[in-house]
Amino acid sequence: MADMSDNLKPKDHFPEQQGEKKQKKSKLTLAKQKKPKSPKKKWLTDEGKWGLFMISPYLIQFIVFIAFTLIASLYFSFSRYDMLNAPQWIGLDNYDKLINDPVFWKSLWNTLYFTILFVPTQTILALILAAALNQSLKGLKLYRMAHFIPVISSWTVVLYVADAIFNPRFGLANDLLLKLGMEPQQWLNDEALVIPVLVTVAVWKGIGYMMIIFLAGLQNVPEDLYEAADIEGAGVLQKFRHVTVPLISGTTFLVLVLSTITTFQAFEQIYVMTGNSGDITAAGGPNNASMVLMLYLFQQGFAFLKMGYASAIAWVLFLILFAITLVQVKLQNKWVHYEK
Amino acid sequence: MKNPNRKRKIISYLIITFSALIMLTPFVAAALNSLKSYTQYTAIPVEWIPNPFKWENYIEVWRMTDFAQYGWNSLVVTLLSVLGALFSCSMVAYAFARLEFPFKNSLFVMVLGTLMIPPVVMIIPQFIIFRNMGFLDTLVPLWILEWLAQPFGVFLMRQAFLSIPKSYEEAAKLDGCSPFQTYWRIFLPMCKPQLATLTIFTFMTKWNEIMAPVIYLSSEEKFTLPIGVLSMSGAWFGKEQYLVAAALMTLIPILIVFLFTEKFFVRGASSSGLK
Repeated sequence: MADMSDNLKPKDHFPEQQGEKKQKKSKLTLAKQKKPKSPKKKWLTDEGKWGLFMISPYLIQFIVFIAFTLIASLYFSFSRYDMLNAPQWIGLDNYDKLINDPVFWKSLWNTLYFTILFVPTQTILALILAAALNQSLKGLKLYRMAHFIPVISSWTVVLYVADAIFNPRFGLANDLLLKLGMEPQQWLNDEALVIPVLVTVAVWKGIGYMMIIFLAGLQNVPEDLYEAADIEGAGVLQKFRHVTVPLISGTTFLVLVLSTITTFQAFEQIYVMTGNSGDITAAGGPNNASMVLMLYLFQQGFAFLKMGYASAIAWVLFLILFAITLVQVKLQNKWVHYEK
Repeated sequence: MKNPNRKRKIISYLIITFSALIMLTPFVAAALNSLKSYTQYTAIPVEWIPNPFKWENYIEVWRMTDFAQYGWNSLVVTLLSVLGALFSCSMVAYAFARLEFPFKNSLFVMVLGTLMIPPVVMIIPQFIIFRNMGFLDTLVPLWILEWLAQPFGVFLMRQAFLSIPKSYEEAAKLDGCSPFQTYWRIFLPMCKPQLATLTIFTFMTKWNEIMAPVIYLSSEEKFTLPIGVLSMSGAWFGKEQYLVAAALMTLIPILIVFLFTEKFFVRGASSSGLK
């Protein structure tokens, strides 16, 4: 401050002198700044400039589409926002409403139910398939491809492929039940069956992908361990239980965490399979029996334009997911076996 | 010694054959459905084999709907996404793998962190950003983010660049190449397998994507194939076998790509362990 007032006073009278003074000063400060750093290295080398330039796409994404959106979404969750008027701060009202919203609780329960059915079923079946495939079988590639076709299909394709089986009027599943003398079912139109059917289809679609991840893990298990087990007279099941399962627990852990995270945010399958010609308000039935958090968020936000309320759902979903992941990480040293 | 091995193989064959049948039967059933007349399609008990085979169902789909338009939109989105992913992910990954720049490590930790944030919290603000930019009901929001280096691709490419010996870089430097030229002319051509993996994964994700088109597209002539076919179903009551045909046709391009590049599919799935 003192510097500035000093400079200001003589400015008009001695402009040249002033310039000289300034130069001297700036030289001095430069020298001072340089001292503690190593003299030969510039802070931003040419390579550094290139580096920053080359990562700029990611920087833009991070600033605009990640950091900014996170802050905005947190702010929206405390606001009333219909996208026509500016967001209006209402404190905890959205969260308050959420706690008293029966459809929210139902969709939270459905999400948990879906995840608890889906994640362990798919993980166990994928592990069994991978162990079976890991035997240098003939036609391995064809078997692998067969399991990958559902993986590369869109949910729209799966909708019609699954309909061939689960159509309540003329699907193969009911055809089979009738032939066995049993009652035909309503499948996706049945409140009690809709989530189990969705889970069955989801396992069918995703198992090939998970199987490949397990297969990669199994290929790191040394063959001599199986030979040692053979010598000890271990059966197929015993080897699976005592050799394969422990040695692949690291991969299993990763797969469990990742598939929990994606399943918790599942939207496309339920939107497509329980909806009607893409009408988002029609999905989640019958009677909200397949309403999951992500779908509820979509309805509230994009169909009813309650962006604030939808953001609150997003943050609750995020926090629950965070807690579950934390528990999974904490539990891992109880069962995950890492090789040293 | 031989006996337990053989037993193991027989059990494995049984398991894997059974499961392959479960994987493929619904596709076969759907393909047969797509070739039936409506009366046969809804017949009880189920008639497996179409009689006669109505191949014209497939032609009808093209004749009666905007199927070609949906296909074009899907193609535009997919190709622009693939180009964007290949370019941006490899460039960012090269910088992280081979260059020194300020805050490099903390920035890379940030990329890691991005992977942990569930997309659910970002959907609404991203929608509002695109709305304010005037991109609603255009294809732009469906591909533009791929030009901003998504973390999966950055990881994949970074691993690839890290495995190349340092001598290549030094030789390029002696020839007077800038870091960008070194990346573009020397390193990029050496990573073709990983680029292939990235291509296929981006292709698959974008070709099949439903959530983003549902959010951003409202007029029918902008629809991509998955939501286009979905939107037909209301108007096609009593002709549902056409819808099966339409859906199966959307699978054909990705199926062809997959058949030729299965190796890279598997590599991508197993090397990363995540999507």
